[in-house]
Amino acid sequence: MPEWCSMDLTVNGEPRTIRVRPNEILLDVLRDRLGLRGPKECCAVGECGACTVKVDGKTVNSCLMLAVEAREANVVTIEAAAGSGSMTRLQEAFLEHGAVQCGFCIPGMLMSAQALLDRDPDPDDDAIREALSGNLCRCAGYYRMFEAVRAAARPVPPPDAPAPVPAADRAAAATDSRRGEDLRRNRRVAVGTSVKRFGGPERVRGTQRFLADISLPGLLHVKLVKTDAARARIVSIDVEAAKGAPGVVDVITAQDLGNPVPRFGPVFDDRPVLADGEVKYHGEPVAAVVAETKEQAAQAAELVKVELERLPAVASVAQALAPDAPLVQDASLRQGDPLARTNVLKERSYGWGDVDAARADLVVENTYTFPMVTHFAIEPHGFMAKWEEGRLTLWSPVQHPFLLQKVMAKLFGLPLTEVRVIAPDPGGGFGGKQNPKFEPLVAMLAMRTGRPCRLVLTLDETFQAVRRAATEIRVRTGFSREGDILFQDIKSDFLLGAYADIGERVMTKASYLGVGPYRVPNARIRARALLSNTVPSCAFRGFGTPQMNWAVESNIDAGARRLGIDGFRIRLRNLADKGDEIVRGDVPADGHWPQSLKLAADAIGWNEPLAPGRGRGIAVGIKSGATTGLSNSTVRLLADGSAILYAGTSDMGQGARTIFAQLVSDALGVPLSRVSVVMGDTSVVPFDLQTSASRSTVFMGTAISRACADIHAQLREMAVEIKGVDPDQVRIHDGIVAIGPDEVSIPEFVKANLRQWNGELVGNGRMRKPHMEDHPLGGSAAFYEFNCTAFEAEVDEKTGEITIHKHILVGDVGKALNPVQVEAQDEGAAIMGLGHTLMEHMVLDQEGRIRNLGAIDYRIPTSRDLPGTMQALMVENGDGPGPYGSKGVSEGGLLCTAPALAAAVTAATGVEFQSLPLTPERVWLKLNETEIPGSGPVGRPVGMDRKQGPT
Amino acid sequence: MNAFEYFQPTGLAAASELLRDCGSEARILAGGTDLTVALREGRLRPRVIVDLKRIADLSSAIEVHAERVVIGARATMSEVAAHEDILRLCPALAEAAGAVGSVQVRNRATLCGNVCNASPAADTVPVLAACGAVVEIKGPSGCRTMPVVDVIQGNRRIALDPGELVAAIHLPAGPGLHAAAFGRITRRRGVDLAVVNVCCSIDGSGIATFAFGAVAPRPFVVRDGGELAARDIGSSEMEALMDVLFSGATPISDVRASAAYRRAMVKVLAGRVLARAVRRLATGGGHA
Repeated sequence: MPEWCSMDLTVNGEPRTIRVRPNEILLDVLRDRLGLRGPKECCAVGECGACTVKVDGKTVNSCLMLAVEAREANVVTIEAAAGSGSMTRLQEAFLEHGAVQCGFCIPGMLMSAQALLDRDPDPDDDAIREALSGNLCRCAGYYRMFEAVRAAARPVPPPDAPAPVPAADRAAAATDSRRGEDLRRNRRVAVGTSVKRFGGPERVRGTQRFLADISLPGLLHVKLVKTDAARARIVSIDVEAAKGAPGVVDVITAQDLGNPVPRFGPVFDDRPVLADGEVKYHGEPVAAVVAETKEQAAQAAELVKVELERLPAVASVAQALAPDAPLVQDASLRQGDPLARTNVLKERSYGWGDVDAARADLVVENTYTFPMVTHFAIEPHGFMAKWEEGRLTLWSPVQHPFLLQKVMAKLFGLPLTEVRVIAPDPGGGFGGKQNPKFEPLVAMLAMRTGRPCRLVLTLDETFQAVRRAATEIRVRTGFSREGDILFQDIKSDFLLGAYADIGERVMTKASYLGVGPYRVPNARIRARALLSNTVPSCAFRGFGTPQMNWAVESNIDAGARRLGIDGFRIRLRNLADKGDEIVRGDVPADGHWPQSLKLAADAIGWNEPLAPGRGRGIAVGIKSGATTGLSNSTVRLLADGSAILYAGTSDMGQGARTIFAQLVSDALGVPLSRVSVVMGDTSVVPFDLQTSASRSTVFMGTAISRACADIHAQLREMAVEIKGVDPDQVRIHDGIVAIGPDEVSIPEFVKANLRQWNGELVGNGRMRKPHMEDHPLGGSAAFYEFNCTAFEAEVDEKTGEITIHKHILVGDVGKALNPVQVEAQDEGAAIMGLGHTLMEHMVLDQEGRIRNLGAIDYRIPTSRDLPGTMQALMVENGDGPGPYGSKGVSEGGLLCTAPALAAAVTAATGVEFQSLPLTPERVWLKLNETEIPGSGPVGRPVGMDRKQGPT
Repeated sequence: MNAFEYFQPTGLAAASELLRDCGSEARILAGGTDLTVALREGRLRPRVIVDLKRIADLSSAIEVHAERVVIGARATMSEVAAHEDILRLCPALAEAAGAVGSVQVRNRATLCGNVCNASPAADTVPVLAACGAVVEIKGPSGCRTMPVVDVIQGNRRIALDPGELVAAIHLPAGPGLHAAAFGRITRRRGVDLAVVNVCCSIDGSGIATFAFGAVAPRPFVVRDGGELAARDIGSSEMEALMDVLFSGATPISDVRASAAYRRAMVKVLAGRVLARAVRRLATGGGHA
């Protein structure tokens, strides 16, 4: 067969004749040749299902099918799923039930779900979980998807039968009844109801454009050249063969970048654009190839010859701290830093009271380890740049377009006006799409070639780009015999990678709140951030708190067991209530946290009889919300009563766009259908610091509310001027202009009167939390994100497999502006927490190289790995700083998953755990360790300060 | 992905000739769920790909002939897992086929491909091995058969001569012949490769045959003397017997599990599938 062959096939009902090469993948042909960008690429090994299409009536992974195999086949993609209709019942159900978050997995997920309904019109729960298990969703909207599939499966009820009410509507109805008075006055209320996600229809139809879906004329493709060393001196790089390969436009190494090689970073300018003289972690790129096609770039990258001298790598806490440890970073990069000749990037210490003087009845000390885990957003990271007439345009699905703009302007010496960042909605971020990674490289390539360049990482490469810091945390806790926590003495080591990224801040922020949401009279926290020859750790949902909570919460349980107090009661005894000090001298507890604890205990049935072999566990956690920063918003109320709002927030699945629209809708009385939201372009939207630390509802939400208040002020001015009334006769609130007894909606008022003013009303609002010089974090927490998690689980003691029957989580959310979205965030975080608790870890070999790159041997939860039931509950006391008393909510669900589940497993088995993940093998190993004859009871207290400790 | 020549022969003879001519430079493509991964990752760089899916003589049929089920080369895992005769006559094979990958993978992957791929962790191989399945091989010198256990010679190595390919699998099955059950251990419940998998098949005379995957480069097959399935065996006696019986397993440590865990799971799994097979034998005889 010749190199190219022509073939006929039917795609989405249309006969097509295309020419393909035998080594082309069907997915690439569909996306790049036929422009069908609904099917997505993530894992490239048939594990994630994002590329699922139907071939001759069967769902397949189009990443595992050669295009030539589709000769004469009938191929259907998400774009044609609805046939001539606008949406299938299933697509509608996905939106109604809040099953769609970032949306990247959704096209494939819908193909699988529809195929299930086609072969089984009334699937049971097991069948649904099995059918969707070949499609990974990292936002983990699984339970909502199950609900949506069941709803779509149900036959259409006869006209007079009451139709089943989807969750979104149920929630809306509840809110409606609370606000019945408003509704009677025919006023629109969006806040507090589960309105459908903005951007949802595009996501279920497969038309949402993620970074890899954007076409630019003349686009070149970039491939990184990596080595298989964790640490090595680069002896030479021979790029000649690659330069001569077909389609290659440019090949660069650090030598082409100038001397010194430019370095960048969010805090420390330590990361070189390409490896500089030494490979410092497994996967660090040493060169980059630019070619006309993806395939040519990949082929040429293999031709780059790299000669290395392998060097011993620092890949663990012990190795980093060893007296003879090689220095990960050259001391010259750390001028003036007294620690420059060590691998300690930063040390912090916090505390109050006097730990050493505290008289405890029981002291328990343990060291807890938390593994390296990676974000595994289903959208692999991508970067695109264009350099034109002195102006740099970057496309990057980042969580902070403005920070990226700043870093790039500094790196290239450009004024901010000449750096434009366009941030397409990320297909999942989780902190990994925060802070620059390969944007500088791609920008340089665009400058060198004069053509737009794009780099889309493979999933394997994302493992080598982003991860969570591993930790070793030693906790010494002192208790009174009654169960009061008398002191916490914590030493935390955060294992960062070869470059700092934001890792030092992760260590700082998590350690500062190390004692958790308790009233602890004495505390000493010593924390270190260590450099190592591993992938640079970065921001990751929870920002160090899950690691810290794993240690501290587990140790509290260890003490409680020895005191004969259960996990609920010891927490109730010590938990801070609203107004209680936690960190001395800082903002006190901002919620009625015992209320959440009790709610979780009730929901798990803490005091109810337990089936044999099962155990329950409960844990709590707090994370500091954002501490500083500025968010601006502009809202335009147009002459026809519609509104456009501008926000620098990134909507990566959390649903910020929807929340913002709800706020504007209620403030201005504009129906949601007439609110549009503009995000993700630094040349259009006003400055926002970033989308992180669950800040957007509070910070940007406040800015938006203030922008609406600004419009209210202008409306008042208008009313006074146009109607000739006194200012105090005008009241503007909740979308209404009231002049004396006359009320009219704001849109009606604007339609009737704005023409006399011309144009439109433009409101600006901002929320700024200034830097506090004397605060250890540079600012106090704007709010605390509090969560309580409880489990009921059992263990197969022969195999070590854990079965979770019930998983309860309660968030102290202030006010749920959109209840379904809050629940989805909580469930998603909780399932992500199950990942690092049960199965996720990057496995390193002796030389520090990652052995389980990619989706086959790095396991994340699938639809079949979920608890039997999960309930995401919330406490709403309206006591947050955000609009309507809201707090941020997107991380709570994973703050204490690990300690709560481990406690349940301990209750079921009698063995304690200090290391994650709790894989079947590790649980089995622990169970067998304690069976060794002569070993004492599980765990052991390390000391009793008084003679008669409890027995 | 490296360039290769792609052939889609329609006749067995043509396919056979191609394979013979190209030797080790050719790779056979059926479902492609493993091959394509290897091609994409550059682990395999064949010069020629021979796609079997248009060969008229290779069937996707699953048919029952006297005392055996014949599964054609193109039958997919989805078809095997859902086939009425297989569910009736050898539910263990349906269990194993249904455990492979996801729906999308099972819609493409073939049973014969699972054998020919010769991965030590292949889920259907233990069932085929324990139940005495035979591979029907066609090639330049005609047709021959060989037991599945003998076809697989090692990790990714099979005993086909140049030009030969597997046309079908013949699974002995019939009332009273044997009862089998399949089980496996994985790191998670959704889509995963087996840490250890096993099939136990008990024949009419009570002899139990165990075939394990992922504990040796080849399927590890052992047979007892009828003691394990006997009604009066005590648990300590069973343990002791199993220790002896399974002592030849040579599991390795890798990224999925340690050798120690695999070794321990051999016995745990064996006990469980044995119990299920015994129940199956009691409730219906045959494979039911």
